[in-house]
Amino acid sequence: MIKISELEKIYRTEEVETVALNKLSFEVKEGEFVAVMGPSGCGKSTLLNILGMLDDPDAGSFLFNGIEVAHFNERKRADLRKHNIGFVFQSFNLIDELTVFENVELPLIYTGVKAADRKKRVEAVLDKVQIMHRRNHYPQQLSGGQQQRVAVARAVVNNPKLILADEPTGNLDSSNGNEVMQMLTDLNEQGTTIIMVTHSEHDSRYSHRIIRMLDGQTVTENILV
Amino acid sequence: MFRNYFKTAWRNIIKNKTYSFINILGLATGMAVAMIVALWIYDEVSANKNFKNYDTIYRLMMNQTFDGVRGSQQALPYPIGEELKNKFPDFKAVAMCDWGQNRSLIYGEKKISKFGHFISEDAVSMFSLNIIDGSKNPLHDPYSIVLTKETANILFGNENPIDKTVKLDNQTDLKVTAVVDKEPKNSSLSFDYLIPFQLQESIYPWIKQHHKTNWGNNSWQTFVQLYPDANPASVKTKISNVVISHLTDENILKHIKPELFIHPMSKWRLHSDFENGKNVGGFIKYVRMFGILGFIVLLIACINFMNLSTARSEKRAKEVGIRKAVGSGRRQLINQFLNESLLMASFAFLLALGMVALALPYFNKLTDKEMSLQVSNPIFWLIMILFTFVTGLLAGSYPAFYLSSFNPVRILKGNLNAGKKSSLPRKILVVIQFACSVILMIGTLIVYQQIQYGKNRPIGYNNKGLITVNWSDDIAKHFEALRQELLSSGAAISLCQSNSSPTEIDSNNDGWEWKGSQPVEKAVLFSTITTTYDYTKTLGIKMLAGRDFSRDFADSNSVILNESAVKRMGLQHPVGEVLKWRDRPMTIIGVIPDIQIESPYRSISPLTIIFDKYWVNNLDIRLNPVMSASKSLALMKPIFDKYNPAYPFEYHFADEEYAKKFNYEELVGNLAAIIAVLAIFISCLGLFGLASFTAEQRVKEIGVRKVLGASVFNLWRLLSKDFLILVLLSCAIAIPVGWYCMNEWLKNYDDKYRTNINVEVFVAVTLVAIVITLLTISFQAIKVAMSNPVKSLRAE
Ligand SMILES: Nc1ncnc2c1ncn2[C@@H]1O[C@H](COP(=O)(O)OP(=O)(O)O)[C@@H](O)[C@H]1O
Ligand SMILES: [Mg+2]
Repeated sequence: MIKISELEKIYRTEEVETVALNKLSFEVKEGEFVAVMGPSGCGKSTLLNILGMLDDPDAGSFLFNGIEVAHFNERKRADLRKHNIGFVFQSFNLIDELTVFENVELPLIYTGVKAADRKKRVEAVLDKVQIMHRRNHYPQQLSGGQQQRVAVARAVVNNPKLILADEPTGNLDSSNGNEVMQMLTDLNEQGTTIIMVTHSEHDSRYSHRIIRMLDGQTVTENILV
Repeated sequence: MFRNYFKTAWRNIIKNKTYSFINILGLATGMAVAMIVALWIYDEVSANKNFKNYDTIYRLMMNQTFDGVRGSQQALPYPIGEELKNKFPDFKAVAMCDWGQNRSLIYGEKKISKFGHFISEDAVSMFSLNIIDGSKNPLHDPYSIVLTKETANILFGNENPIDKTVKLDNQTDLKVTAVVDKEPKNSSLSFDYLIPFQLQESIYPWIKQHHKTNWGNNSWQTFVQLYPDANPASVKTKISNVVISHLTDENILKHIKPELFIHPMSKWRLHSDFENGKNVGGFIKYVRMFGILGFIVLLIACINFMNLSTARSEKRAKEVGIRKAVGSGRRQLINQFLNESLLMASFAFLLALGMVALALPYFNKLTDKEMSLQVSNPIFWLIMILFTFVTGLLAGSYPAFYLSSFNPVRILKGNLNAGKKSSLPRKILVVIQFACSVILMIGTLIVYQQIQYGKNRPIGYNNKGLITVNWSDDIAKHFEALRQELLSSGAAISLCQSNSSPTEIDSNNDGWEWKGSQPVEKAVLFSTITTTYDYTKTLGIKMLAGRDFSRDFADSNSVILNESAVKRMGLQHPVGEVLKWRDRPMTIIGVIPDIQIESPYRSISPLTIIFDKYWVNNLDIRLNPVMSASKSLALMKPIFDKYNPAYPFEYHFADEEYAKKFNYEELVGNLAAIIAVLAIFISCLGLFGLASFTAEQRVKEIGVRKVLGASVFNLWRLLSKDFLILVLLSCAIAIPVGWYCMNEWLKNYDDKYRTNINVEVFVAVTLVAIVITLLTISFQAIKVAMSNPVKSLRAE
């Protein structure tokens, strides 16, 4: 599903040049659950952002389902993204001005799903993440765990083939964290490919494979299953 | 999709009440200014469009050269009307008309004084008067009168006025032949009554004697209507020599060279200035100027909106990032933000509409207009919706493109702070905004200075405690008795008759010859005032030499000159010199200083004061200075009622009439002032908003500085400095621009009649800008500086 090779990303500011990704290569097959680990600043988020087409690489190749997307413009990327990829962030990133329901509904709106259909699908996922009773609440009125469940619901509502999660449990206590990990595992079992960045050895055990990074390069890959 | 946009937009507005309020209020103020200016412009450009034949009505005008200056005048000779009608098939209608006057109308016990014209019967169809009741050709019979509905109601109440008899000037019985609608205030022909032009010949014998066939006396106006397919240029060529062909005076043929032309109705109001016989615009320049100013204020309001929206961008950034991450394209985000600004603009529009509705009565009074919001007109609403839409797009475009361009990765990482660069456009906008406001302030101050300059000019006579009453035949009959009684009552200390009020010159005459004058100089125009006794005493003029007309002398061939006239004639010892006026010898008996009767902004023209008992329109009265004006007037009323029974006792104070000469400048000044104040207000709203966002952004920095020992004053200075620099930069840009513009404006006035632009104006404006800026931002700065640093530092 994903094949990157010799991927490079360099951040240039006035004084310094930071090589965030240094000729990084690996492959992720459909249906896999991959954890990406490494010390802070080694380029994990940069990688995830490129995989999620929020950002473009400076060099190298990125094949998504066999299509080269490294040089896609913003519009094409947005198009590909909205149909194929769901995001879960460490800091939830829900829109404060929208209710739970409306937050989850958002990706469907952007892919042009009809209103009646949207209602059904949003209610279904909210049910699944057990947050249906809070559907009309605003994010600030929810606990961290609840907010992350909403974020996961939003990530999956469009039935994406790929979910990218950047430290999804980073801001959660362990019981809430486990709940979220269980949700991701369930999704994976239903066929969704998952790439997750994490600092937690505990969380990484939910995955099939761990990619360890250091200074923008892969160091090892451990197969867990 | 739209529902979602709308929801976010709505909740954003609700959630940030202060921000939304400031933003909507600013935009609404700008929109209100633009709307009022637009209404005013509409009123100006639509003037006279109430006349159906707007496109084919013209005013006949004449160019003549006096003393080397080719001037254009509306005044024409009496016989021109008949001549055009009989000899030129080019005209569908020709209407002669006088200048209009207040006259007494009496029906039974009812006695009113109303304004109206002598006018030819053609006028009724030409000006498409709406006849509510009565004859279709109501001015055909010389003894008829047409009344407006209002006038008819006052005179007749519920009675049917048609065929009733009204007494004009307590003298002539006229039959009411029609009742018509009143023409709107902004039209060039407004009246309470109309009477047939040829009626003059019956009631004023001198018209038949002196004017009927006289091509050299220009005292009437002429309107003509062309056929729809006529070519105005060829009509002009045909008629241009009509007047000159009737004249034989060599001087006129050689030097004055009267030439007729026609001036279309569409240009009467806004293109009425002529130079060297050519139309050079007129009030249109102010219409354009205020149009531009209105647009600038709207632009300032839109800039405000952009500034506040982008300043808030960091708060909105997260939303943008998330929306992009879940699949929004840039286009959709642009749509969303435009949607939001359109919503804001709609609220602003409603608020603006309210503001305009409240302000319009005052504005009407200020501009002497009858403007209204055309709420029942669908076109009005269409324009308003379009206006709101365009404003929303204008205000929302930059924020939309700016916000939607955010990189989601950087936002979601939380390091949007792109440093100083990203605030540069915002700073440029603030500078533009303040520069515009400062230019407006400069303009307002200089217009007011110019008004003050005119008001401070010495006028050479005393216009306080001086009143004017319209002359009438009854007054003429009983003048001596009236005079004696007014003086002995103690209400007045002096009075005189004259052909024009103390604030007007109504007549100019050529044909003067003096010692050493060239034949050409017979074409020099001198202003003419006619009076009998006590003119200088009543007006409070000090003679420079010689004496006033006196009962102790035979003065029927005497003349008094002003200084300018003496200078123009180049006389060394004027008193005693004999002049010739149209071959009549006239002896100079006195010289008065140059008194300011006409415009306070134009040089005083040479004046001749002539002794003439019959050429009279006014009675000037000097009130007793030791008595209160109200008491004097109360004493006078019964005396006037006795000797002038046909008229209600009406009078004008000369100082009030003189003050009206500043109406034009005061209108310009007041409009500019209002626009300037509102522009500054809007700019301050924007500054306030920006200051609060800056303060919010720097809350952590301020916390740290406080912990390290900064005082409130240190912090206030830190936060104010940046804005102060921007405002000073605005002043630096605005001052030369303002200076240039106002210098151009002052060129409308002659050298000696305009104020100088002083440095003080610019210093004052800069100080005002600084003070306003500091007041606006200090509130925020001090609030932040005094807040508890622990709170702001914990908020992470
Ligand atoms: N926008 C940016 N500008 C400059 N440097 C950046 C930017 N984003 C990330 N970096 C740098 O790139 C490197 C990788 O960052 P990141 O991918 O966020 O690491 P991780 O998520 O593994 O902690 C770090 O050294 C970081 O400082
Ligand atoms: Mg990271």
